[in-house]
Amino acid sequence: MKTARLQPAVERFLGALGHSPDLIVRQLLWRGSLPIAVLYMEGMADSQTLLEAVLIPLSSGIGDKRIPDDSGDAELERLASEVLRAGDLALVDDFDVMLDRLLAGQAIVLAEGSSRGIRVNVAGMEERSVSEPLTQTVVRGPLEAFTENMQTNVALIRRRIRSPHLWIEAREIGKVTKTAVSILYLSNIAGASLVEEVRRRLDAIDIDGILESGYIEEFIQEKTFTPFPTVYNSERPDSVAAGLLEGRVAVLVNGTPFVLLVPGLFVHFFQSAEDYAQRSDISTLIRLLRYLSFLIALFAPSMYIAVTTFHQELLPTSLLINLASQREGVPFPAFIEALLMEITYEILREAGIRMPRTVGQAVSIVGTLVIGQAAVQAGIISAVMVIIVSITAISSYVMPAGSMSISVRMLRFAFMALAASFGLFGILLGLFGLSFHLCKLSSFGVPYMTPLAPFFAADQKDTLFRYPWPRMIARPSRMNSKNPVRQKSAGNGGKKH
Amino acid sequence: MNGKAAALAASLLVASFVATGCWNRRELNTMSILLGAGIDKVGNQYRLSAQVVDPGEVAAAKGSSSARSPVTMYKATGSTLFEAFRKMTLTSPRKIYASHIRILVIGENLAREGISGALDLLSRDPEMRTDYDILIARNTTAENVLKIMTPLEKIPANKLFDSLTTSERAWAPTTTFTLNELIEQLVAKGQDPVLTGVIITGNPKVGEEYMNVNQIDPAVKLKLSTLAAFKGSRMVGWLTRDESKGYNLIMGNVRSTAVTLPCPNGGKLALEVLRTKSKIKGGAENGRPTARIQLKVEANVAEVACIVDLDDPRTIRSLERQAEEEKRELMVKAVKAAQKRYRADIFGFGEAIYRARPRYWQRISKDWKEHFPDMKVEYDIEVLIRRTGTTGKSFVGDIRGD
Repeated sequence: MKTARLQPAVERFLGALGHSPDLIVRQLLWRGSLPIAVLYMEGMADSQTLLEAVLIPLSSGIGDKRIPDDSGDAELERLASEVLRAGDLALVDDFDVMLDRLLAGQAIVLAEGSSRGIRVNVAGMEERSVSEPLTQTVVRGPLEAFTENMQTNVALIRRRIRSPHLWIEAREIGKVTKTAVSILYLSNIAGASLVEEVRRRLDAIDIDGILESGYIEEFIQEKTFTPFPTVYNSERPDSVAAGLLEGRVAVLVNGTPFVLLVPGLFVHFFQSAEDYAQRSDISTLIRLLRYLSFLIALFAPSMYIAVTTFHQELLPTSLLINLASQREGVPFPAFIEALLMEITYEILREAGIRMPRTVGQAVSIVGTLVIGQAAVQAGIISAVMVIIVSITAISSYVMPAGSMSISVRMLRFAFMALAASFGLFGILLGLFGLSFHLCKLSSFGVPYMTPLAPFFAADQKDTLFRYPWPRMIARPSRMNSKNPVRQKSAGNGGKKH
Repeated sequence: MNGKAAALAASLLVASFVATGCWNRRELNTMSILLGAGIDKVGNQYRLSAQVVDPGEVAAAKGSSSARSPVTMYKATGSTLFEAFRKMTLTSPRKIYASHIRILVIGENLAREGISGALDLLSRDPEMRTDYDILIARNTTAENVLKIMTPLEKIPANKLFDSLTTSERAWAPTTTFTLNELIEQLVAKGQDPVLTGVIITGNPKVGEEYMNVNQIDPAVKLKLSTLAAFKGSRMVGWLTRDESKGYNLIMGNVRSTAVTLPCPNGGKLALEVLRTKSKIKGGAENGRPTARIQLKVEANVAEVACIVDLDDPRTIRSLERQAEEEKRELMVKAVKAAQKRYRADIFGFGEAIYRARPRYWQRISKDWKEHFPDMKVEYDIEVLIRRTGTTGKSFVGDIRGD
């Protein structure tokens, strides 16, 4: 029987990783006679765990009686079953698997005389702790956000849904990055076809690297060309848990706090976690306010252009005179003026996000000059235009989901161009086109405008309005969930709708 | 299948671009906003005066206002109104934008010659609305009226519009007519129109100066006058104040006004009219046309400058009788003026008869002009005094040593 030597095996690992200095090889003699090696990646394995689970147990057997040369395999099994102190360890035959685990932060124990190895899960790298969400903030509601670590994220959801039906399916996507991706769903609620569709779309991905859930989003979203988001993303565990309870499916990607939820419908982007935490009356009003801001963000500049350049008769006389007096001396047509201001605003916005924190003040001071009094006093912009641009900008931030306000930002310019060339008629044409598009769009087989078109009367309780919780008996029927009833009610005895 | 639908949708979309109505793109600072227009007749030509806003002066956002006039006027003459409108671009740097016109002033000369020719363009042009008020410049030209500087409301056309709407509500002799209503009255077989007049008090030359509004009591003012009666499209004369009141009572145009009555023991007393309701019923008696005017008035006692016991129901009733008598007199005056002086059916008695007895109207409509001056008109008046204000008897009678 051929005995496997330890040294060549270690060399094989070193060679595979190009002698990277962060691969640590600790060689020691088990019971003073059997040479063994412990391999781990520095910074990916937790040194405390490594010490307690592997190094201390291994060094305790020093000075014992000699072990025969050919018993390396047996000793390795004994180490795995009796000596090493770790929850997650296993004997591995395949070199590639060992290498893979090593790169995931596990420790590999090799012994003289054995071609096998033990992988010990001592992974634990430096990571950000659970903190408050930076997007989708609320006044009332949980203040936890997902982190970059998928295990933590899964735990955050499981802590909210302590049900055996919360099923998790793991995937590894990315030929090079081997990024861990998980599908989460409630097996007794989520529709089987939806889960199957998510699996199918995830499995079809063939890419070398996944670094953010945005990569996955672009792969699994609808093929239709659309400015609207069809996949919802959130860094709030409570939002994701609520989505799972509605029968949606979550996709977690290791390395990003943004978790995907599918299907993502139009109305989802207007729902905030806070809607459900505060009283239903105010939630309803605020939700209506969001739809209003959506319309303002989309149409304010184009309406202004249309009314002032085509339909002056729509304005009350005194307002018309007022607007006319502001436009006295402005050298640009209203459309150019609006475009100028909108683009300036977009530049400022982008600069605001990207700039180093330390120059923030300089940018904001200069910004207020560009979009503001100075521009008006210089006579190149009318004061109303500043107001229009400002209200548009503010309104676009009212939407709780950032991805929807991005669509609005893009479409706004299209509507401005339509308004400048055809007036209100152009806006109307654009609106027709937009409505057609929205009604044709779907997300994972669910029509995008559900439950407005197709109309589901029962789902209106959580669309424009937010009914009080005791009255929301059924889950949204749009998800085709297996178990449509949310709560047994005295009124209807828990019957469907 | 799907391709067919898409092709249909695409062609409809393309068609919608060319099948639009009239539209035009223009920036706010390339147009002159027309608020008041005046039409006069000079020789056999129309003279059009356009009162146009200088927006920079009106919207006084920039602190100190310069001494520029808030409005400016462009004039043009032409044998048709349209020609005059277009000729205006010779003097005006911007195209006149007429959608926001508030008031149209017609010179008395033109009104006496007939206004129908001038009205066609105004109702035909798609840019113009048809809901602005029309006034007749009394004893002067429309141009002069539009030239007077007015205090409070910087734009004279707005001043006219506002005081017209205010006084229509609170003062019986005035009433407003928009272009729509005027044309309606013109084309109705059994009705002749009336229009409110406007006069200039003081020297018009002074009124053109900015100085005019620098005084607390401007030397020259625009004042609404009484009604002008028309026969067809031709103005035939002015009604007096009482006749105008009577006209508005009959037409139900009075919303609120003041009525002064003499007290039995000397002194005067005023009633505030709250509500009036009137109805004209046409009919025929012995083959001759008749009309019956029903008027119901609700009033409050507004001012008592005499000794009268308002606590006594009999006093109230006698006041009501007096008021009824006063109303009757006003209406009789108005009807008389229309029947005898102008022979113009400004009340639409013909319309009322047509509505009540269509067959009969068919027979007499041809010689309605002969029938109208002699037709019998009956009055049916009821005045109700609802309240006497916050005091009963006036303190005027209790003042010692008076």
